[in-house]
Amino acid sequence: MARYLAGRAAGVVVILLLVCLFTFVIFFTLSPDPAVMICGKTCTPERIHQIRDALGLNEPFLTQFFSFLIGIFAGRDYGEGANLVHCAAPCLGYSFQTNQSVWDMVVERLPVSATVAIGAAVLWLLVGIAAGLVSAVKEGTWWDRAAMGLALGGSSVPNYVLALALQYVLVVQLQVLPFPQAVAFGDDPVVWFQSYLMPWVVLAAGYACLYARLTRANVIDTLAENFMRTARAKGLSPVLTMRRHALRPALTPIATIFGMDFAALLGGALITETVFGLNGVGKMAADSIAKNDQPVIMAVTLLAAFFVVVGNVVVDLVYTALDPRVRITAR
Amino acid sequence: MSDLLVVEDLTVTFPTARGPVDVVRSVSFTLGRDETLGIVGESGSGKSMTSLAVMGLLPKGARASGSVRLDGVELLGRPDRELRRLRGDRMSMIFQDPLSSLNPYYTVGLQIEEVYRAHRGGSGKDARKVAIAALQQVGLPDPERRVDYYPHQFSGGQRQRVMIAMALVCSPELLIADEPTTALDVTVQAQILGLLAGLRKDSGMGLVFITHDLAVISSIATRVLVMRQGEQVEYATAEQVFAEPRHDYTRMLLDSIPRIDDPLDEGVTA
Repeated sequence: MARYLAGRAAGVVVILLLVCLFTFVIFFTLSPDPAVMICGKTCTPERIHQIRDALGLNEPFLTQFFSFLIGIFAGRDYGEGANLVHCAAPCLGYSFQTNQSVWDMVVERLPVSATVAIGAAVLWLLVGIAAGLVSAVKEGTWWDRAAMGLALGGSSVPNYVLALALQYVLVVQLQVLPFPQAVAFGDDPVVWFQSYLMPWVVLAAGYACLYARLTRANVIDTLAENFMRTARAKGLSPVLTMRRHALRPALTPIATIFGMDFAALLGGALITETVFGLNGVGKMAADSIAKNDQPVIMAVTLLAAFFVVVGNVVVDLVYTALDPRVRITAR
Repeated sequence: MSDLLVVEDLTVTFPTARGPVDVVRSVSFTLGRDETLGIVGESGSGKSMTSLAVMGLLPKGARASGSVRLDGVELLGRPDRELRRLRGDRMSMIFQDPLSSLNPYYTVGLQIEEVYRAHRGGSGKDARKVAIAALQQVGLPDPERRVDYYPHQFSGGQRQRVMIAMALVCSPELLIADEPTTALDVTVQAQILGLLAGLRKDSGMGLVFITHDLAVISSIATRVLVMRQGEQVEYATAEQVFAEPRHDYTRMLLDSIPRIDDPLDEGVTA
């Protein structure tokens, strides 16, 4: 087990380093000179050179790359003499746009994205799995057809369309919800809940539709298994038969998919956060790409990769706990 | 004393797009206590459907008519709630493929215990003791440890032993074994057959043994029912069936048993 975990951790580090490298290469070679952008309209070549120096952009590629890496683990210094700025570890640099520490931006915005992701996940798991279960048990009935028709339709609606429609109806027309505001839970729980409700629903809708269809298919497959016939032949109650013998085999694959989906969402729900003006990591990503804010783009890319890769490891570990046939063996 | 199981004029009907189809037609047989009935036939002959109808386990949509009486009590038409009390308790069934018939997510101990607790109640501790004893009874070595194993940790023959232990944990009067040895290799087949015959003798229960292989039941059946395309073609004592089969189809099945003294067909090599 310890050996397995050490191996997986090493794998995570290697993948993250590669993601770092690729992102760095892309921005080093493809993007316009950030110094020019920072300098603005009235700019002299000397000024540009000065800015490039301060940002470390005059260094060779590999030196820049390693400075970036070292910055994450040990912190780094920008500029020289009177202009010297120390960036403490974990240092992800400073935004070209606002000069804010990128790490501070991440720390500030991650809770927003996590709140969006957790709330939506609770919603889509409850609704999706419940709908899928009922559909499977009532296979072929009008309920099944209606629910699955809705799920198919629902998963085809882009979530920005749903977001705008909900906002128009609930906020503008009916005025039952306020426009989402950045309120901490502790300050005003009611407004907090009202502000996050629409993002949760919008983000959860597509997943709920998908999970309903997955759950239905898995449960129907499981109900046809021979061990379900055995359970009935043993005279077990229908409730016990369903709860113990059908649900665990049917839901285990869904736990895996959920782990991956949720991990990806922690890296920011780009569209939902942008539409509702929530200052999460997703909106930070959208803004930084629009403004070519390289340090921020690097950070959000790394963050998303980190969650996906770590999520993968967690999913594998959880799977071994859920399915006794799967056992960890160190390679 | 009345017969243990009386089946009269049993017909099983499936609805299809082209109207109802009878997969079992007017099958009748009786099984005494302490008796073994062999039901023989090729795949699709309706032998499994016959046994599922007895257990009340027919697939959704299928309908059974006629009469099935266990110890004089009519089972057909009884609500599932009542049949459930009998299944696993007074009548049990084991199936062809023990790997897929056991739930891979739970230990064999739990799967045996839950039958006992469903019918007899009691604490988990008691049920565990019963499960260990049941595993011991079917000749599984080291049952105290193996009770916590998962199905995939056993061999095919051991898994079928687990299935048998599970079926017998409440000491049923009737055991239906649906091709219990088909998925096993020959030496294991013989062991399982011997085990079933021994357990049946010790407990005095009635055994219905379903197979497509006449040779398998020649050693354990007292009576034989031969089925073909949903109908019974022959029903007689085992001696009669093996000595002087009355139906051509039975004769054909008998001839299909390879014998060590058969002359080798031309052109057939091992």
